[in-house]
Amino acid sequence: MTTMKALSTALALAASALTIAACAQMKALPSLPESHPEALAVGQQVECSECHEDQQKGTLKNINAFSHTRAFVKNHRFYAATDTRLCETCHKVSFCADCHTNQVEMKPSVKWGNRPDREMPHRGDYLTLHKIEGKVDPASCYRCHGRGNNERCVQCHH
Amino acid sequence: MKRTLCRVFSAVSLLGLPALAGAAETSVDSTTILRIEQRDNGAHKDTLLPATEFLSLDATRLADGNLSFHFYGWGRVDLVDKSFNEDRAAGSLSYGYLQYRFKQANGDIRLGRQFIHDGINNEQIDGLSLHSDLPYGFGISAFGGANVHTTHIFGENSDGKGDGIGGGRINYRYGGMLELGASAVYESKAPTLLQHTNGNHRLVGGDVWFSPHKVLEVLGHTTYNTETSHIAEHSYLLNLKPVQRLVLSGEFNEQNDRSYQYSWAMFSGTTSPAAHGPLASSGNTSRNYGGRASYQVAKLVELSGDYKHYQRAIGHANRYGGDLKMGFSDNQIRAGASYHYLDAGPGFAITPNPSGSYHEMRAWGMYDSKSFTGAVDFINYLFKERVFNEKQAWEVVGSLGYHLTPQLFLSGDVSYGRNPDFSEETRGLIRLTYNTTFSTAGGKK
Repeated sequence: MTTMKALSTALALAASALTIAACAQMKALPSLPESHPEALAVGQQVECSECHEDQQKGTLKNINAFSHTRAFVKNHRFYAATDTRLCETCHKVSFCADCHTNQVEMKPSVKWGNRPDREMPHRGDYLTLHKIEGKVDPASCYRCHGRGNNERCVQCHH
Repeated sequence: MKRTLCRVFSAVSLLGLPALAGAAETSVDSTTILRIEQRDNGAHKDTLLPATEFLSLDATRLADGNLSFHFYGWGRVDLVDKSFNEDRAAGSLSYGYLQYRFKQANGDIRLGRQFIHDGINNEQIDGLSLHSDLPYGFGISAFGGANVHTTHIFGENSDGKGDGIGGGRINYRYGGMLELGASAVYESKAPTLLQHTNGNHRLVGGDVWFSPHKVLEVLGHTTYNTETSHIAEHSYLLNLKPVQRLVLSGEFNEQNDRSYQYSWAMFSGTTSPAAHGPLASSGNTSRNYGGRASYQVAKLVELSGDYKHYQRAIGHANRYGGDLKMGFSDNQIRAGASYHYLDAGPGFAITPNPSGSYHEMRAWGMYDSKSFTGAVDFINYLFKERVFNEKQAWEVVGSLGYHLTPQLFLSGDVSYGRNPDFSEETRGLIRLTYNTTFSTAGGKK
């Protein structure tokens, strides 16, 4: 508790100092565009480096890091954690909420049964599978269901 | 107090609605789904006809052009028998917030119900969040408000989460090769539960992205639980791109079960641990690591193979396999196939099986044009040991759709399968989708 308070105070002080020192130079910093300037086709594997050669403004990261390869889609949580605003230039938040939402009415793969190309979790008989997968990698359950304590989970897990 | 806060913030988020009339750009996505299902458990037969509406609305360039309103939620009505729990109707507001974007420094302010994905923080709040880049490569973000409560855990009057929550992240980026972040979340005291042992959700952590050259990238985070005074998680990814079309990935994840899942009331511990799930005996470490090779054979053809090893106190497991994804005719035709095998011992098995191993096979194809769509998706789980006397679980889904207008799309799915829970399972679904964007720019998906 004491450690937490000390850390919080230190973070707050550091943040305040940075904010004051930086205010005068804020206008020189660019913002990402609100949306992608050109329409991107639905279902298209996006190869950012086809058009972007340099670093993405505002992120200072090589744009090649964000190309939607199979590896990127599988590991997108790492990128979304630090570059949500870049994701939002092309994706509506509802795109993320198809899977990442605390209260789910139906499995994402059922809602989007007409889009088998989309990477949706828990396809097929996951009711049976989760009894195995939950023991193999419980953290993967927690990432989505942990803070939700979902209504569907408490049907059996109580 | 918590209900009042939730209502206030939800009401605030809806204040944006009157302004929509003057919105420069408005996007509406509506998906209405009617599911058709019959269940017969021997004693009685239920006909289920739930109608669900998913509605998303984004109104941008309001007021001075920098204000926007974003909303997404769903509602369900059971037209015949109850489809779920005791209510014939249900709904959820996933998010509804006003956002003001500044033209400089990626600054923005969001007010209302929203998701927070920032550093180690993944929350849903009714409140306020702010973000800004700062000079010299620094950045800062903060959030605070009321937790969004979901459902009551069985036998409790709460979902186990505290009412108030706040946190933030500071970060530093250096010249396209390094980002370092430090973040924290502090939730007010978790409610005392009657049948479960719950913990406060209070974490600090650091994240890193390091790319000394465009062929190499290391990223990940470590979290520390201040309540248990223990590292909760290490999660790191290494990407190598030796040639343009090849990505080699290595991943390492380690969680201390107790510290990582400390605030997960359902599994963090109960008054009768023996009866409740695999995580009740917490204090163990879960570790997994593995790799993936992904190669883009052609512009729309990608082949990948992966391997992961899992270590837990209850045993070791290995998963390996590969998948292929293809596109033809300017991506109008898409197809894919995958195979994976999970080699898992008795510790992971469904009781009383001696093995948790199974094969997963999937094949799918779809046609997607401006006028109509069609899709077939087949997935099969082949168990090494029979589960409830069934050797496998399989499902095939067929879908057909037609664009009535460019904005209005009608589609229907039929699925049939067999699995350990149902000797036969047939489902039908009708989907009406309306997507329109009154926009001049490229827009979003």
